[in-house]
Amino acid sequence: MAFATVLYLIYLFTPIVLLFVGSFGHIWFNTLLPTGITLDWYMQVATDGSFRRAFWTSLQVCTLTCVIGALIGTPLAYAIYRAASQQVRAAARVIYLLPIAVPPLVLAFGFILVFSSDELPFLGSLWILVGGHLVLTLPYLLHTLIGDMRHLRLAEQELAAEALGAGFWQRFRDIVLPSLRHSLASGLITVAALSIGEFQLSNLVAGFLTRPYPVVLLQAFYGATGFACAATVVLLVLALAASAGGALTARGAQGVHGLSA
Amino acid sequence: MSEPEYTIALEGVTFTYPGTDIGVHDVTLGIRPGELLAVIGPSGCGKSTLLKIIAGFVQPSHGRVIIGGKDAAGIPPRQRNIGIVFQTYTLFPHMTAWENVAYPLKLRGQDQASRRAKAVDILGRVGLGTQTDNLPAQLSGGQQQRVALARALVFDPQALLLDEPLSALDAALRVEMRDEIRRLQRMHHIATMHITHDQEEALSMADRVAVMQNGRLVQVDKPRDIYARPVNREVADFIGQANLWTGHITGPTNVGTPFGTLTTLPHGRNTGDKVAVLVRPEGLLLGRGPGDINSFTGAVTRDRFLGSFRRFDFEIGGVTLLGETGDMGEITAIHIPPTSIQLLPETGSAQS
Repeated sequence: MAFATVLYLIYLFTPIVLLFVGSFGHIWFNTLLPTGITLDWYMQVATDGSFRRAFWTSLQVCTLTCVIGALIGTPLAYAIYRAASQQVRAAARVIYLLPIAVPPLVLAFGFILVFSSDELPFLGSLWILVGGHLVLTLPYLLHTLIGDMRHLRLAEQELAAEALGAGFWQRFRDIVLPSLRHSLASGLITVAALSIGEFQLSNLVAGFLTRPYPVVLLQAFYGATGFACAATVVLLVLALAASAGGALTARGAQGVHGLSA
Repeated sequence: MSEPEYTIALEGVTFTYPGTDIGVHDVTLGIRPGELLAVIGPSGCGKSTLLKIIAGFVQPSHGRVIIGGKDAAGIPPRQRNIGIVFQTYTLFPHMTAWENVAYPLKLRGQDQASRRAKAVDILGRVGLGTQTDNLPAQLSGGQQQRVALARALVFDPQALLLDEPLSALDAALRVEMRDEIRRLQRMHHIATMHITHDQEEALSMADRVAVMQNGRLVQVDKPRDIYARPVNREVADFIGQANLWTGHITGPTNVGTPFGTLTTLPHGRNTGDKVAVLVRPEGLLLGRGPGDINSFTGAVTRDRFLGSFRRFDFEIGGVTLLGETGDMGEITAIHIPPTSIQLLPETGSAQS
């Protein structure tokens, strides 16, 4: 058991370690490990115009996806959870989990068909990316939120609050939102990480000037190994930062709706 | 304005869950000011539905709910001003004990300082003066129940509804909380409906007990009267320990039972009628009776020592009778005084 675990951890971390090693290595050609230490690759990534732009694009798309996702997802999850009929809940569940089953490629083709028309010429804009990422990440957020509502028996808590004199909005502000702060945080972390790393859909619907980081990163693999490693490490750090940002957003939301009884 | 006779009154209330016959049927019941009324019955008898109707969570299809002298139709639950304690406590997990208790005061627009003072004060009165800043997760089941009770009382509601509040607690705590609830209820002089399936709880706490069966109210009486004069076989069986046999009337003062004919008081029933014969365990007296009336010899097959008394099984010709006595001597014969025998309708609705 311990052996299998160690083997798995080696398998998991070796590529990441090699990425770091490669990004700081001066020359890596026909040897097991690179020779020489340098920061040049990072400097090159930092000064590359397309990488800089892609970096900011990814951050913007990720932030907007998280914010809009929280604003849409929370009421939506609540509505599905509180739906009166069992059948409505089951149907909603199938529909909201559908984007996970459908390959992003299929979704992207759909986007291309709809948004390259004369009436909706939005293909290549930042918002088309945000829209796409929302569709892809919302299932995870809804799933986390609805699961937590069930776990907390939110309906019973609301019944109690109602009997104590709370109207709908008071319950939503005082009971529902504060209760969901943990699941909203963990849901948004997932959303942020998915959005930062998303490639399939982004690659097809992004415009030349709105390419997010993973799409631009693909170009790096045709160049120097050190540059590719450094650019990938940046994505890794970006993904971790986005996750942390997602958590902070949720904390912030809790502060806004925070309760002082 | 004079105080109405009942703080809460139900008049011919009927409610069934959509597509079923389950619910409550034609219930008329009142809770007097300051009274603790226990509603008791097996699970599924409709007692929790009754609570939901009074709270306003469901609307009766027939009949009226009158709260504080006013028809409650169309008044939403949040405006009914009734304190409810749920079976699962339903404390808000993200609020501390005092914030939970202060929440109804916050909803009523009281400022933070005064609602905190009130919450801390009532928490002190339920014995949680040092745990006011704890979150529910940091409190034991009994402590959470006390917080829930404090939260239901702090806003001076006109009535209190308790939905099996003790069923999630362990046995020793349950007995302690009975007294605690009774003490608080008396202190606040608040009309209270206590839903329970535990007959001992109902008999020991309540001013009056209402027994429900299959969505219908079958008997409302003082605990002592329910025990002494149940209206039918089911109530007799449900409340307290009982010997119940199916019998046939054999004469104006006789009834036939599986172990022999008993002499009763004059009962006014027709010979051949089928009845349920009830004898409470303490109605079995030791030894043969005066004039050998209703006297039987037999053997004790089980003997349970319960401290100040014993509960024993006494077998007469293959039929087992349950008896209770404080006499710890040997038992070879028993007798049943005619005054201890009650004849009840074998089944169905109430009749005297």
